[in-house]
Amino acid sequence: MNGFVSFLEKNLSGPMARLSEQRHLRAIRDGVISALPFIIVGSFFLILAFPPIPKETFVAQWANQHVNEILIPYRLTMFIMSLYIAFGIGYNLSKSYDLDPLSGGQVAVASLLLTIVPKVVEEEFVLPMTNLGGHGLFVTMLVSILSVEVMRFCKEKNVTIKMPEQVPSSVSRSFEALIPVALVIALMSVVTVVLNIDLHHVVDQVASPLVKAGDSLFGVLIPVFLITFFWSFGIHGVSVVGTVARPVWEVYLAKNAEAVADGSSQIPYIAPETFYQWFIWIGGSGATLGMVLAMFLFSKSKYLKTLSKTCIVPGVFNINEPIVFGAPIVLNPLLIIPFVITPLITATLSYIATAVGLVTPTYIMPPWTLPAPIGAYLATGGDWRAIVLVLINILISFFIYLPFLKMYDRNMIEMEKEGEGDTEIA
Amino acid sequence: MRVLFVCSGGMSSAIVVQALKKEAQKQGLDLEVMAVGTSEVETELKKGWDLVLVAPQVKHRLESIQKIADRFSVPCDSIPPQAYTPLGGALLLKTVNERMKDK
Repeated sequence: MNGFVSFLEKNLSGPMARLSEQRHLRAIRDGVISALPFIIVGSFFLILAFPPIPKETFVAQWANQHVNEILIPYRLTMFIMSLYIAFGIGYNLSKSYDLDPLSGGQVAVASLLLTIVPKVVEEEFVLPMTNLGGHGLFVTMLVSILSVEVMRFCKEKNVTIKMPEQVPSSVSRSFEALIPVALVIALMSVVTVVLNIDLHHVVDQVASPLVKAGDSLFGVLIPVFLITFFWSFGIHGVSVVGTVARPVWEVYLAKNAEAVADGSSQIPYIAPETFYQWFIWIGGSGATLGMVLAMFLFSKSKYLKTLSKTCIVPGVFNINEPIVFGAPIVLNPLLIIPFVITPLITATLSYIATAVGLVTPTYIMPPWTLPAPIGAYLATGGDWRAIVLVLINILISFFIYLPFLKMYDRNMIEMEKEGEGDTEIA
Repeated sequence: MRVLFVCSGGMSSAIVVQALKKEAQKQGLDLEVMAVGTSEVETELKKGWDLVLVAPQVKHRLESIQKIADRFSVPCDSIPPQAYTPLGGALLLKTVNERMKDK
């Protein structure tokens, strides 16, 4: 067993985790994450605009009459998330190259803006916003990386304007950025204006099969499995898998939010990041809240009892490293089995429940440390049935973990009798 | 002695930090510990720390964090998984002491 585990760690989980540390993937990851506060706060204006209360009430009617005004903060944050993300990617990538991060962020924003053609409406220039949102995220990743790479190329080949040393550094820095900025703007202008290519349209064609696949049941189960697989080796699964998957998850969330904001009754996607967070990762990756409860109620060994007491409160707030490393689940075949199986089952159930319309798809992003029933309620824009689904999933997790825990508990009691367990508690 | 804990978002290591602090208090050691996410390491290191410890679940980022720590010539190592629990205070303190000795 140990040989097999170390084989997997050496040849599979280790290299894959390291791959997620690749420079560009990391820049995308950190860039998307940097925009999350704007997405979280912006999405909450959707609840204000469509409050989960009876339509006849005064507040609901008032909100209904002022939808457009209430949604303005949402339109200028979450709705144009790609603009924020472009800056984040440009900033992080140039920082990783030791280039000026501020210039990197700015040049990424410029190149994203240059994929969009302003329109003239009533003699005023107007920027269409759709492609600055979730819709433009793939192009954003592409052009942000491209523009920083141009910066790096210029720096490496010394294609910059060098100022004498007496010139203040802020001045010389702005001159240093001059040539790369000119190159990026020229390049993007040629594509968008001269060649008249709509990059968003092109990338859509390429990305649409991927976007479709990621929202299928299979497309949900694969990341779910991979995340617990990585955690089984003690690697932060969401942070590895999310590096690749989060952009797609964010596209789903953005499109769902757009559909709601437009007053559509059809919310298009089942599986944004919020779906995983609130219906599957209850108590943390591996759906461990049910496990901690089972441990608290039924374990008899001193160690597991003490551990479960310290892990309940963090578990309610979806922090489960204490239990993952404490039980431990990591490299512990007995607990890895339910740790991998449980989320696959609750994911399937939640997917079906959402697909057949028993639960509203998620379109709001509450902070991930909220207790799951509250988070799920908010994420679905106030659907009480989401709370029921969360409670069912906790029960499922409880009962799947229970037999494995009991077996493990017996082993622990044996060990404690032999006097080995005590040293760990002390 | 000032020790910086690094995990994905700074949340889980905050719990472990509590365990370490308690253990240090028991032994009457003067220990300042703080938990941060991987993205904050660089900013934090500018303020001067004696040791960086990386949580086991982000050990695949150890290399990149190590590089940052090297720039500030602060020793950096990963936390053994068995120590990364609320009950792992004693083992954790032992790790900290060993790493500081190596320095």
